[in-house]
Amino acid sequence: MANYFNTLPLREQLNQLGVCEFMDNSEFSDGVNALKGKKIVIVGCGAQGLNQGLNLRDSGLDVSYALRKEAIEQKRDSWKNATSNNFNVGTYEELLPTADLVINLTPDKQHTAVINAVMPLMKQGATLSYSHGFNIVEEGMQIRKDITVIMVAPKSPGSEVRSEYVRGFGVPTLIAVHPENDPEGKGLAWAKAYCVGTGGHRAGVLLSSFVAEVKSDLMGEQTILCGLLQTGSILSFDKMVEKGIDAGYASKLVQYGVEVITEALKHGGVSGMMDRLSNVAKVKAFELSEELKDIMRPLFQKHQDDIMSGEFSRTMMEDWANGDANLLKWRAETGETAFEKTPAGDVKIGEQEYFDNYLLMVAFVRAGVELAFETMVEAGIKPESAYYESLHETPLIANTIARKKLFEMNRVISDTAEYGCYLFDQACKPLLADFMKKIDTDVVGKNYNEGKDGSVDNQQLVAINEVLRNHPVEIVGTKLRKAMTAMKAIKTA
Amino acid sequence: MEPLVRITGLNLRYQQKQVLNNLGWTIQHGENWLLGGASGSGKTSLAKIIAEMQSAAGELKIDFNKKSRLPAEVLFVESWYRFKNIEGLSNFYYQQRYTSLQANETVTVKAELQHYGKDKNLEFEEAEKLMEALNFSALKNSQLLELSSGEHKKLQLVKALWLKPQLLIIDQPYTGLDALSRRKLNGLLDEAVAAGVQLILICNDKELPASINCYAEIENGQLKRLDSQDEISVSYQRQSKDLPDFLQVRPGYTSDEILRMIDVSIRYGDKQVLKNINWEVRAGEKWLLQGPNGSGKSTLLSLINGDHPQSYANNFYLFGNKRGSGESIWDIKQHTGIISPEFHWYFDATSTVWQSIASGFYDSVGLYRQLPFSKSAKVDELIEFFELTEHKNDLLSALPLGKQRLVLLARTIIKNPELLILDEPCQGLDQQQTAYFNQLVDELSVNGMTIIYVGHFASALPSCLEKRIELNEGEVVAIETLAESCLA
Ligand SMILES: NC(=O)c1ccc[n+]([C@@H]2O[C@H](COP(=O)([O-])OP(=O)(O)OC[C@H]3O[C@@H](n4cnc5c(N)ncnc54)[C@H](OP(=O)(O)O)[C@@H]3O)[C@@H](O)[C@H]2O)c1
Ligand SMILES: [Mg+2]
Repeated sequence: MANYFNTLPLREQLNQLGVCEFMDNSEFSDGVNALKGKKIVIVGCGAQGLNQGLNLRDSGLDVSYALRKEAIEQKRDSWKNATSNNFNVGTYEELLPTADLVINLTPDKQHTAVINAVMPLMKQGATLSYSHGFNIVEEGMQIRKDITVIMVAPKSPGSEVRSEYVRGFGVPTLIAVHPENDPEGKGLAWAKAYCVGTGGHRAGVLLSSFVAEVKSDLMGEQTILCGLLQTGSILSFDKMVEKGIDAGYASKLVQYGVEVITEALKHGGVSGMMDRLSNVAKVKAFELSEELKDIMRPLFQKHQDDIMSGEFSRTMMEDWANGDANLLKWRAETGETAFEKTPAGDVKIGEQEYFDNYLLMVAFVRAGVELAFETMVEAGIKPESAYYESLHETPLIANTIARKKLFEMNRVISDTAEYGCYLFDQACKPLLADFMKKIDTDVVGKNYNEGKDGSVDNQQLVAINEVLRNHPVEIVGTKLRKAMTAMKAIKTA
Repeated sequence: MEPLVRITGLNLRYQQKQVLNNLGWTIQHGENWLLGGASGSGKTSLAKIIAEMQSAAGELKIDFNKKSRLPAEVLFVESWYRFKNIEGLSNFYYQQRYTSLQANETVTVKAELQHYGKDKNLEFEEAEKLMEALNFSALKNSQLLELSSGEHKKLQLVKALWLKPQLLIIDQPYTGLDALSRRKLNGLLDEAVAAGVQLILICNDKELPASINCYAEIENGQLKRLDSQDEISVSYQRQSKDLPDFLQVRPGYTSDEILRMIDVSIRYGDKQVLKNINWEVRAGEKWLLQGPNGSGKSTLLSLINGDHPQSYANNFYLFGNKRGSGESIWDIKQHTGIISPEFHWYFDATSTVWQSIASGFYDSVGLYRQLPFSKSAKVDELIEFFELTEHKNDLLSALPLGKQRLVLLARTIIKNPELLILDEPCQGLDQQQTAYFNQLVDELSVNGMTIIYVGHFASALPSCLEKRIELNEGEVVAIETLAESCLA
């Protein structure tokens, strides 16, 4: 199998990368009708599988689960989750031949094997869906020509897909139809109906392409989302301990700080986050983040280049073939970092304190979000796509750090994210060595405002605000956030 | 000996209102108080000040008995509290407890109690006795998420009675408890007093532990000592008034059959929650649903409201259609309005009063749409009717509990639903608030709305109810008219 993107002529590459249309509500007025009475079979019952299935069934659709034999025989969690919620469960042979829509929600790394087992059993003219396009784009999986191939990719973890649905809302979602597999021209109608069934249409839907989704998703997850949050967290923790801040406090500040800080992104974007700082602190964070952007830009560009050329997925798949040697080594290293091993102290940290005492993370987040966005757009990805894969997802990922630190973040997101994250982290830490030498506890661990009279040069402040607010990620973000009005209150631990 | 508590010159303002005004209170050793009176009079604030969970101007002196073996501690059991998941968050949604998930989100009752016991240096055996006495032992291995609000109350009470602090303050101790559990609780409180605990109970309930020997209420920000419980001020009566026009019409029924269940059963692993339920409700009927804590009432209602994943394996009809025949949960919810303590618990804390009520049009938890003028006019009208106009733009969570409940009632009726499900709607409310709420239900009932009401106490029910279904351990043990049940 050859990398699908690389088989395309440049014109078509740009064409597919540029598919990006924010869909109007009226495009979903047909509801789930296109799928009414159709037999939907979901392969895999994990985080996405179970929760998407619960939503689709609650939307009036006919859902069952095809699990691999071992999972059924050994009554694994996937089997238990499906049966105890009263879903019909069966083997591939039992369920796939009559399925109208087969939804593949197994881990990306397994897709080639899963599709090879599933496809021969699918009936003529059936539809196959993914929630991530890696298999199609990077592995170049070829799907039988009578089969329609679509994508419905919720931009949230499975648990949120469910909780937002039952509240009467949804999570932002990307949908796409694979241009090589739309023999009957029904792909878009089915993708829309499926999206309505998960509630996604209430929170903003982007019509995308497999190519655009994959190239932007990979870039986002390995740079800002997982990569930089990991690097920033570890460097911050180590710095605090080096400078004598209590390790329990440092651990808590880092673990929960990224969640509290990035939560502000949900409401007001990067400028909203920066506005949580005092004027003096904002000026400092701005200066640090400018410096960070200059230092890290080449690294972000390298990641984007490798993703575009297929170099990234080639080396990752090599590692898959090599028994995950690199991945396992890096994973073990992350598990051994001092931050990971120091439990959060039993101290109360107020919401504002997370901003005042962790200005460095604010600078990291601004630098990372803007860089990821800028680099994606330069590479031909449209601003809306770039927004979802950078700013929008940052608080969602930060949430997983607050839950169980980095090791867990890496395990729950996805195997591609984990691999890419380590790759980034390995390169980024040495890059920031000189920068970190200058960092002291005034920007990480202690309140930056302490001992300052709070006055700033007004003109400088105005200029900074101007720069922040006019960044393209803010402009597109303001528009997209309007579409998702429901934002949860800021949580503090 | 110094008194246990001496309070002088206590002042507390909340927004424009002087809640506590130069209040003084002395609690001698051996005294056990009932603090009653109108809601919003400052009882909970006063309790929190004594427990040092809230600060106020004035003097508070607590003189614990140094010779006592009981912890020199004030423990305040709140009437409304939030539990957390394993990661320390409490962002649950209320349907979550009906969904089976292999990964545990919250700890079990037992783990929670073990942790508490270790922290406080207590013998676990003692907790087991208390659980037994409150009929709570069967839930030892349940996750916190699976408990109903009444069961959460019991967990709080077990902790308090286990710790036996020198001063124990309980806000609404009987909330959500069935009649038997209430009596048991009174016995346990008396035992605690015998062991040296002093009590302050905040409530207006009539059946109290025998050890209660002092009475008071807060009047105009000051503590007023009373000779007996009977002197506690009785409430103001609601002037009944005309419902808004849009609620004075019979709901638009699509079928005369509201629900029909045929041998409905629910189980989680080997725990059977509902067993062969057969039940029919017809348009306009007013039902009382009863049964002890944990008998399956809320689960039964979750089936009717489209909230239970196991609906799909059961045989029942809602509004004339077979469940699981291609309808969405939103199609079902369109016909119904629901309030339950759990629903309230998990309701969106970031909504304003106006948004909360408006969200009833779409059955969403929080408002995500722009309302057309015709609908927003109805919201305004209903807010007026419920006398909530001044709170219109306040956050729901900033209102006193009784008012929050009224907002949720307004939310459920804003679309004039065919079926109104009121699952312990008055839980946590005092007698006056309960009477007020039930009077409203009676007013609402006259135009043909179907009602299912869950309540434990005959004295605290709306008068419109006419039929009764009773559950015990997941089975129907009685279906009768209320007249019949009175004869029995
Ligand atoms: N997680 C997210 O936040 C997220 C967001 C958007 C999109 N997605 C996409 O959603 C898809 C599913 O991800 P997920 O996070 O839901 O995965 P997951 O939680 O790891 O679940 C995977 C499921 O697939 C089954 N499975 C694993 N290996 C298999 C194999 N070789 N053959 C058949 N079944 C297998 C597992 O069950 P058994 O092992 O018991 O068989 C399990 O039920 C991926 O394409 C991912 O990129 C994920
Ligand atoms: Mg209940």
